[in-house]
Amino acid sequence: MKKIILSGLLALLFATSSFALPQPQIRVKQMVDSVLDVLKRTDISDAEKQVLVSGRMQSYLDMKSISRRTLGPYWDGATEEQRERFALLLVQILEGTYLHRMDDYGGGATDYLKQRVKGHKAIVDTLVHSEGLEIPVQYKMVYEDGDWQIFDLVLEGISLVKNYRASYGEIIRRKGLDELLTMMDDKIVEMKKPR
Amino acid sequence: MPLRIFTLLCAVYFILIGTVFAGDFDADFDADFDDTFSDDDPASEILIADPLEPFNRGVFWINDKLYFYVLKPVAKGYRLVIPRPARVSVGNFFSNLASPIRAANSLLQWNFRGFGTEVYRFVINTTFGIGGLFDPAKSVAGVNKSSEDFGQTLGYYHIGPGFYLVLPIVGPSSLRDAAGSFVDSYGDPLRYADLSTKEYLAIKLLDAVNRLSLDQDTYEGIVADSLDPYLFIRSAYAQLRKAQIGDSTYDMNMFEAPVFDNQLLDPIDWFGL
Repeated sequence: MKKIILSGLLALLFATSSFALPQPQIRVKQMVDSVLDVLKRTDISDAEKQVLVSGRMQSYLDMKSISRRTLGPYWDGATEEQRERFALLLVQILEGTYLHRMDDYGGGATDYLKQRVKGHKAIVDTLVHSEGLEIPVQYKMVYEDGDWQIFDLVLEGISLVKNYRASYGEIIRRKGLDELLTMMDDKIVEMKKPR
Repeated sequence: MPLRIFTLLCAVYFILIGTVFAGDFDADFDADFDDTFSDDDPASEILIADPLEPFNRGVFWINDKLYFYVLKPVAKGYRLVIPRPARVSVGNFFSNLASPIRAANSLLQWNFRGFGTEVYRFVINTTFGIGGLFDPAKSVAGVNKSSEDFGQTLGYYHIGPGFYLVLPIVGPSSLRDAAGSFVDSYGDPLRYADLSTKEYLAIKLLDAVNRLSLDQDTYEGIVADSLDPYLFIRSAYAQLRKAQIGDSTYDMNMFEAPVFDNQLLDPIDWFGL
């Protein structure tokens, strides 16, 4: 009887531990490390860094959901062409912003505090240390196409997707989607110039 | 037979505990995920009302010019003259001086842990930290500040932000938070230090310039990266305040976190608890 209970418990233990794979936290760490690797290089220019990081980050981001949720209520009214163009522009703005932030927090060690998984969603909490400051950075992720993809970045309680949605929504409401796309285009050109 | 009862009890216990944890986890998780993650189509949302937008944009424009042409150059010069450790100490000093405000607001929100944290930090940093110039409460004992202000206290009692306000020099605020800052200013020890208005303002300016000298070009980053910095800062401010009023996930605290690696600064140890 005791043996049965014991083996049952053991089986349960193994079952729960194998449940945790593949881990979202590991995905986040992979992305952060690969971006930092590029940033630490001294042999290439800022523009080249941007290109390298861009290639690396895109595979970690769920751009389809990000752009759909950033456009929010305006997604339905947009044409297929506008949607695609928006996604393409938004990923460049996100990468540029992330790159600048990482550059500012340069070399800051990242603590991986905890990960929470519920179904196909996950939250990974990290703490970035930089010059005496501690910046809480939260990654929200979804499991899609066989891997965990980053869906939103929350810095000190400020969700990037929410912020983009609120401010882009205002711009669309006042000036229209096409004007927003033009503004994004101009911004990307500006962002790519060396600071 | 007793063994069987024992295992049965254990099983019931674990199932109960398990469900309790699962319940909390689900609610917390969903709250953290927020609507941006729901599977329904996300609705448009207004993070904060802004009926005074034209006026706010005007003040924003003035602040922007003030920042780039006055405050930032001054802060840069100050940064060249004063070495970083000294500037960090000046920042610590001002932060320590504001402890009573944070302590009082923690108490007003029935946040006894926050209150304890602030009293503890004030005592340790004023003594071991030489009048607040150093922050051993954090650097040695790992006890972080509990950032509370009266705007947050009002928020705790379900008072909304009202509407967005951009204040001259101070920057983003709201009706509630501006009123909160006004109330908080009465908790500022400097107010009772028998200073002339000029001296008081000079000290406040030093605080601001010092803070700016330690900042890593946050504002420049926002201006460089966003399509409309005014809108970006407005939503960021609304979100930040909302997050601050809610429970902070990152509140490392003296009573819960494995923070005390130095017995000297461990109050639990002092009182033999």
